[in-house]
Amino acid sequence: MLELRNVTKRFTGVVAVNGVSFQARRGEVTGYLGPNGSGKSTTMKLITALIDRTAGEILFEGEPIHNDLATYKQRMGYVPEEPHLYQHLTGLEYLIMIGQLRGLPAKATADRIDGLLRLFSLSADRHVPISSYSKGMRQKVLLSAALLHNPDLILLDEPFSGLDVESALVMRSLIQELAARGKVVLFSSHELEIVEKVCSHVVILHRGKVVADDSIERLRTLMALPTLEEIFSQLAVEQDIAAISREIADLVIA
Amino acid sequence: MTRLQFRVLYREFLFRVVDLELLAEDGDISKLLGQFAALLIFCSLWLTPVAGLAGSAAGHNPMLGMMARWVAQHFLTATTMLAVGLFAVMSWESPFPDRRDVFVLSPLPIRARTMLTAKVAAVATALSITVLALNSLTGLFLPMSYGFGGVVSAVRAFSAWWITQFAAGIFIFFSVLTVQGLAQLLPRQVFLRLSSWIQTGFFVLMVTVYFLQPPFSELRNLLANERALRWVPSYWFFALFQELNGTALPQLDFLVHRAWTGLLIAAAGAAAAYLICYLRTLRKIGEQPDILPAQRGLHWLPPFGDSLQTAVAHFSVRTLLRSRSHRVVLTFYLGIGLGLSMFVSHLPEVYDRASGFGAWYRLNGPLLLASMLITCAAIVGTRVVFAMPLQARANWIFRMMPHAGVARCLSASRRSLYTLSLAPVWTACAVLFFFLWPWRLAAEHLTMLAVLGVLVAELSLLHFHKIPFTCSYLPGKTKFNMALVYLALFFFVTQWAVDREMAALADLVLYAKTFGLLLVLAVLAHWRTSSASHSEEGHVHFEETPDPVVFALDLHRDGVTTLQ
Repeated sequence: MLELRNVTKRFTGVVAVNGVSFQARRGEVTGYLGPNGSGKSTTMKLITALIDRTAGEILFEGEPIHNDLATYKQRMGYVPEEPHLYQHLTGLEYLIMIGQLRGLPAKATADRIDGLLRLFSLSADRHVPISSYSKGMRQKVLLSAALLHNPDLILLDEPFSGLDVESALVMRSLIQELAARGKVVLFSSHELEIVEKVCSHVVILHRGKVVADDSIERLRTLMALPTLEEIFSQLAVEQDIAAISREIADLVIA
Repeated sequence: MTRLQFRVLYREFLFRVVDLELLAEDGDISKLLGQFAALLIFCSLWLTPVAGLAGSAAGHNPMLGMMARWVAQHFLTATTMLAVGLFAVMSWESPFPDRRDVFVLSPLPIRARTMLTAKVAAVATALSITVLALNSLTGLFLPMSYGFGGVVSAVRAFSAWWITQFAAGIFIFFSVLTVQGLAQLLPRQVFLRLSSWIQTGFFVLMVTVYFLQPPFSELRNLLANERALRWVPSYWFFALFQELNGTALPQLDFLVHRAWTGLLIAAAGAAAAYLICYLRTLRKIGEQPDILPAQRGLHWLPPFGDSLQTAVAHFSVRTLLRSRSHRVVLTFYLGIGLGLSMFVSHLPEVYDRASGFGAWYRLNGPLLLASMLITCAAIVGTRVVFAMPLQARANWIFRMMPHAGVARCLSASRRSLYTLSLAPVWTACAVLFFFLWPWRLAAEHLTMLAVLGVLVAELSLLHFHKIPFTCSYLPGKTKFNMALVYLALFFFVTQWAVDREMAALADLVLYAKTFGLLLVLAVLAHWRTSSASHSEEGHVHFEETPDPVVFALDLHRDGVTTLQ
């Protein structure tokens, strides 16, 4: 189980994440939602230990992750929001490098890379530099890299970005399959429809604070709202959407 | 509308002469450009004594003064041409619109003509700044040495000087554009494949010509080299200055003619290059991907130790082989090393025009020095290139890796450095020396060279707590002024080392002592570098951070806690 206890992150006077606490359990997909600038990506970076927290504690399987960061990182797979990859490497070279950096056995890794490239339909482009890959292909490389070492904790920050319909369907099913096989999956996305279909449990963040943390079913019952979109709008959207769109149209057309 | 578009694009292109992605988060592009200008002005300051010397000599002895002025003028013109050439190579892709320009600007109502004009104007500005900054001080002193005949002659000398410097710079820059323009006639993907090699070739050519051009001497000796002079552009512009200044030498008229012809051809070539770009390349960029098809079979590399070391070393090798900007910077160092090596190996001591290269086959100091210079240049250049990032934002993957401690990363960087610099240069030297010298002499020198290489590599890796190509760059940390001091010191030390090795190669006991001393130094350097990686803060650096504005001195009495 992944647990955040009162985690706070300040950037020179700005509080990006303010006392965030939640749990993501094994066997379920936890959705992590929030409007732009609410602190989602900062939380993801805190969980991946790419940045350090100002206060609070992050625990995995009951152990503070900073006690033994190397072991924790060995058990974590991460797909970042932006597909920053070394574009001069080919897809195959990139994945081999990841395997080597993680200290995975060469033969088994090569077989796994072969399988992942085949299943993600990247085999034909394995020797092509990543710079010529489409956004969806890069996303598949990132996913392959995140799953290569069979992690126990999978952090997905907008994993559907750029994927075609077929790949997105495979991806959706894969996330559920991984959770069903006992992985902890934390899934951050703006696509509420997908979150509603994939996740059993959601955490909604607004201005750096958790405003909802429950199963989607219970949130629907508690708030008497039929969809996640409406729940999200009520909790995290401050603006009058219709009024804003009218204003924009007036401004442009005037 | 078009004028406004031009102004916006001009500013954008001017600030993109360098690759912004190299900069650290706190990096400032204006600071970086300011640093380039300051560097050139600093060079001008160093060159000023050359110009000053010419002026003072002219005041005392007219004949000596004339020679001094000629030598100084030729040297400064050649240096301007080299600096502009380096600028042209460094900004290889800036003069023409690239893929990003085409895809960002094409959907906007901007004419291709406006885009190209803004490019030309931006490049012309950058070129002018280069010439002005480099000649900022020398351009005042040297014309003064010609202007003793009154105000009119001073103004004429001053004008002639600046026209010549700009003409020389324009000639070099336009020549580079011409070659690029011709290469653009090739199929787009062939052009992309060849472009970086043409760039590297140009670089080597310019540095080599700079170091190997016939040295300036008396007019009689100079004219004895007439055939060579016809092909050395710095002499064309030397003669052009004399022509413009009214101090023309009739014997050098053929060089003035060459200068004007060369300038015209280069200008026509540059115009053609832009026309080709306007009519053909812009369309091709849109139609075809900038990516070359991969070649299977060129991907295999041997293991370099454990998996982390192998990953870092493979990453380093592939980055250096595939990144054009890194290759150019490395070529800069190799070019200087090669140029100096060729210069010393052509000293009269070993190279007699009459007898050819006969002395090369005997033990000689210049060849020892040349091998040391090229080895050190390769190591230092590779180490400098390691500190330049490639796609710095993609380094998150290294940050997330388990077990990537400083010591292991240093070990991986060390192997990469040896593989990419010391090993190939040492192998090339081995082939040369075993071909030229008796095997024992060659083996003795090569053993010494290997240990020297290890020593230099270890010293260069001291406090290098990074993975090659992954740490962002922060302008303002380069200490070029110190680099010149180090270079002078380096020459002094290598000359001493050559003398010592010459003696050692003739005496086995002395050889053993010298080798032992060098080995101890190399082991100590290795130990120092490794222990620094263990003792200092235990994380690998991925982000260059600026020095703090206020330094805490931590002054406090024993037993008293410092204020937080």
